[in-house]
Formats: sequence, structure tokens, C-alpha cells
Amino acid sequence: MSRSVRYSSSPLLASKTPVWRSKFIVAAIALGFAGLAARAAHIQIFGNEFFQRQGEVRFVRTLELPASRGRILDRNGLILASSIPAESIWAIPEDVVATKAQLVELGRLLEMPVETLEKRLADEDKTFVWLKRQVDESVAKQIAELNIKGVYQRKEYKRQYPDGEATAHVVGFANVENQGQEGMELTFNKELNGRAGSRRVIKDRLGRVVEDVREQVPPVEGKDLQLSIDSKVQFFAYQKLRDTVISFKAKAGSVVVLDAVTGEVLALANYPSYVPDKRKNLSGEQLRNRALTDTFEPGSTMKPITVAMALEAGRVTPQSIIETAPGRFNIGGFTISDTHNYGTLTVEGVIQKSSNVGALKIAQKMTPNEMWDTFTALGYGQKPQIQFPGAVTGRVRPWKTWRPVEQATMAYGYGLSASLFQMAHSYTAFAHDGRIIPLTMLKSTEPAVGVRVFSPENAHAVRRMLQMAAAPGGTGQLAQTVGYSVGGKSGTAHKQVGKGYASNKYRSWFTGMAPIETPRIIVAVMIDEPSNGQYFGGVVAAPVFSETVQQTLRMMGLPPDVAVKPQIVTSPVEESF
Amino acid sequence: MTRVNLLLLVSVLLTALFLVHTQYESRRIFVELEKATSQGRKLDIDNETLQAEKRSQATPLRVDKLAKDKLQMVPASAAITQYVSYAPAAAALTAKP
Repeated sequence: MSRSVRYSSSPLLASKTPVWRSKFIVAAIALGFAGLAARAAHIQIFGNEFFQRQGEVRFVRTLELPASRGRILDRNGLILASSIPAESIWAIPEDVVATKAQLVELGRLLEMPVETLEKRLADEDKTFVWLKRQVDESVAKQIAELNIKGVYQRKEYKRQYPDGEATAHVVGFANVENQGQEGMELTFNKELNGRAGSRRVIKDRLGRVVEDVREQVPPVEGKDLQLSIDSKVQFFAYQKLRDTVISFKAKAGSVVVLDAVTGEVLALANYPSYVPDKRKNLSGEQLRNRALTDTFEPGSTMKPITVAMALEAGRVTPQSIIETAPGRFNIGGFTISDTHNYGTLTVEGVIQKSSNVGALKIAQKMTPNEMWDTFTALGYGQKPQIQFPGAVTGRVRPWKTWRPVEQATMAYGYGLSASLFQMAHSYTAFAHDGRIIPLTMLKSTEPAVGVRVFSPENAHAVRRMLQMAAAPGGTGQLAQTVGYSVGGKSGTAHKQVGKGYASNKYRSWFTGMAPIETPRIIVAVMIDEPSNGQYFGGVVAAPVFSETVQQTLRMMGLPPDVAVKPQIVTSPVEESF
Repeated sequence: MTRVNLLLLVSVLLTALFLVHTQYESRRIFVELEKATSQGRKLDIDNETLQAEKRSQATPLRVDKLAKDKLQMVPASAAITQYVSYAPAAAALTAKP
């Protein structure tokens, strides 16, 4: 007999299920759901903040929005300094895997000996080393093509100065961190730099920005700075100055060109100079902005000021007679002398011939107090109010301590010191009808409002004397230009060495203005230690003045104010049959 | 009752899908915007670079050198300049001695 299983009547199924079992299952599931609900509530309500934060840590990033550094422009909007992107090369030393050939090539591109490069990469403790900052774009590309593991690039901004050495002292330069170090870059560093902004974003797995989390803080872009400098005038003045310094074998030189109406500085150049882009091996000699930071005894260029104050005080008139014979004068045990015996001169003649004895006799008609007041009003011994780092004050001692001989020497520019810039500034009083005007390095179109120091008549009288000094019979004949009337005063000062004056070291000056009736520009020139035999201001510095005036006025579009003999040669055309 | 529930379920599912789609779309567009912005920035930088380059090609030093060496030019002076002025300026000039 065979037995078969009857599945339909499994005894297991046949047994009765107790009711508590189904209830238990339902309760267990309900508990499970309750647990999930509680967890959900915990995540979404009670612990929300914590989880939100954790999420942010993983996906939200703060990006800095860099502000670009503003440009520096000249008065016509030409770029004097701007930022361009440049790659900086950096490396993680322990990650670097490179063959010897690759390293040699990298060293060549970075202009760095392979040994130095290897030394830098040998320091395994460091996780970051700069190899070279701000390399040229083409070099960066070549380095990228080398494809060395562990060597990376980072985009930075590099300052570029197209005008190079001609504007170096005015514009200055910024370092690799884009912080101004010299010149206008330093003075207006804050304005030029702007302020970086920021934004919070969500980044996805691939590092792409997919969402802004909250409103971004936009960067405040650096402001462009428009200077009063005219790059053409600046270039021309610099070029002329450089040629002169070289041809007279001088140590250095400076030139300042001012707009006599608005008080703007049109050009300010020094030689020796430097190329702001290439700052390796810079010397202090090159960096010094001599026109502002070096003070000297101005010598004869002071005489017009002495005369002007005597005119203003009513002690002399332009036609007053001054006896300068015999060309020597003893005062307090010192002898002050002229190069020639000029005999009897008018006040005008004293300026024209540049007589020391004449100047001191005029000064003797004044009190030290009066002289000191005028010097101070003209900015001597005062810090120039100019937006420029490092401008010096010069020196004018308090009048109470002056001895008679000092008062006498000050009349012709010894015993006090000033920078070329101060010198040029004081001459604005003559050019601006007796008012000394504030100077600015920034572009301004408004005529400057000045402080009255001399009356318009006296300023005019001095201008006439300056014109005579720069005319035939004067000391500054080489200052003459074609087409424009000029006036100016030359100066030649012995250089102070230690406690006394060196007999063979000179400084040559020329300060003047043009056109003389209604001056538009003031040009001051200083040449330091010309040493090829010529050293008089009228010979060394006046030609720089002349050429600078000529070119500047022509570029300003001023028609000539004196008759010009045309030199336009029209060759006769030969007619042919 | 069941029908209403089904309807609600379907609409919930639909809106949920639509939300996902919108989110996706918005991110996609955002990424594109990002790309465009960065390209704009790049163009700005290029512009700046080219401007600087143009300027460095036209510095007074270079122009002066080229004009003198290649074109044999000389600086103009008042002596070789013919000044012409329009009526009011001319009147002012003749008024002066």
C-alpha cells in the first residue's frame, strides 16, 4: 500500500492560529512605523539645525570674489599701470614626480638653476612652495605642457607699466601681492585695491557651482586713478633730461613741469630711473624721486623771490639803483662776491646779471622776519601739500636765529634748502599773478584758487625780469625757444660736502615759465654734478628747459606768442615740358 | 473614497516628479549662467590684456623711435608749423601787437 502526502490537509494549516500572534505582528509593525516617525521628527524638527550644518559642511563653499586693482591713467586716459593675469607656479614637494630632463626644462623655463629648483623641491616637510610667481603666459603654457605631477599653476594678477622708466617715479609700483610700494601706487593703494566680495554656493560632486545659497556680497572694484601727468610731456621731459645728464656726465637730474593755471603736475621725471616691471638689482640711486625727496640750496634761483619780497614791501622798484661795485662785499668776516664787477645795476639788472652782491643789498633792506614770512608763504620749510609719499620739507631756520651774514646769503639761495618741487611750486606765485596755488597729482579742470603773496603788478614786474634774464644779455639765454616767450632764472650752486662747500662740485638749476605774459606752464630743471667742464645752470639746465617748454606748449596746442621766422622750405618745382 | 485617494496619489506623484524636474532644470540653467559669467569675466580680462598690449605697442618711446628711425621724421617746432585759426581766434590774435 502506498501512502501519499495530502498537502491540502497539512496538519500545520489545520492547527488553529492563536489570535495574539496577528495582534503581535500588527503591534510590531506599528512600533516600527512609530520609530520611523520619531526619527523623522528628530531629523526634521529637533535636530534640524545639526543636520543642516552637516549638509552645508559637505556641499556649501564660500567663494571669494576678487576685486581687480584699478588702473592708473594719464590725463588723456592712456594707461600708465594696469593689471593683467599671470600664472604663478607652485608645487607640493612630496608629490613631485619628474625626470631629470623635465626638471632641466622646468629650470630653463623658470630661469632658475636646476640645483636651486631641486633644493626647493627637496623639502618634503612643506606641502606648498612657490616656484616662481607671475610668469608670462607663454612660459606658463610651456610649463603646463611639461605635465609634471605635483606642479601646479594659480592665476594671479600682475601689474604692468607700459611707459617704463619715464613714469617710474610718479606711478611707482606694486609688489607681487598687489600692494603699492612706491609713488601713486602707494598713496592711493586703498582706493586702487577695492574690496573683495564673497558668495556662498552649493557645489556638486564634480565641483561645479549649482546654486547660490544666499545673496552674494559683490566685490567693490578698485577705482581707476586719473593723474594730471601727460605721458607725452613726461616722456619728452624724461628723454631730454636723460640725454643731458649723460652728455654732461652728471650724476643725476630732475625735471618738473607744472600747469600754471590749474596747479596740475604735468610731468615729474628723474634720472637715473628704473623699469618698474623689472625690479631686480634696484639701487637706491635709481629709486629716489629726487625732485621731491632731495633738498638742496637753491642758489641764484632764489633771487627773484628776494626781489619780489622787496618790491612787495615797497623797499625798491624795478628801476631802483643798486651799487654792486667792486663786485665784492664784506659782511661778518665773510666776503661775498660776483663773478664780474657789474658796477651800478638796476633791480632788474641784478636779476638779469644774477649779481650776488645786488641780491644781498636788496635783502638788507628787509627784516629777517619779513623774509621768513615770505619764504614760509611760498612753501619753503613746509611739507608740500601733495598726494605723494616721501615729500620732504626742506629747511628754513627760524628768523630769530639768523645772523646778518645768513640773511645776506639767503638772498641768493644759500643757507636754506628746498626740493626742486618746492622751487617750482614757489614760482607759481609769479606765474599766477601773485597767488601761490596748491598743486595736485590728479587731473583737475578747474583753475586753481591760490593764496595771495605778491600783488599782480609785482608778479608781473618779476616776470619781466625773468624774461630779461632769459634774453640776450641775461644768464639764461639758452632757455629761448622758437615761437614762445620765456622767462626764467638759472642757478649754479656749490654742493655742500661735509661742513663746507666743494669747490668742484656743482648743482645746476633752471626754473622758469612760458609764455611770459600769461604763463601756462612752469618748468624747473636740476642737474646734479655736471662734470665735463660745464656747470653753469644757464648752460647745462637751460637747454632742457627750452626743449621741454617748446614741446609742451606745442602739445597743449598753444599758438606761438612771438613772431617766428618760418623755416618751411618750399623747393621750387622745376617744370618740365 | 478610493477614487479620490487614487487621484490624490497620482497628483502627488506627478507634482513630485515635476519638482525634481524643475530643480534639475534650474541647476542646469544655473550652471550655464555660471559658465557664461566666467566667460564674460575671461573676455573682460582678455580685453584688459589686449588694451595693455596695445598701449605698450604705442608708448611714446616706441613711436618716437619708429618715427625717427623708420620714417625719418623730426619733432615739429613752431618754426615749421603753419598756424591757422578760425575767425574769433584770428581776431583775438590780430588785436594783439
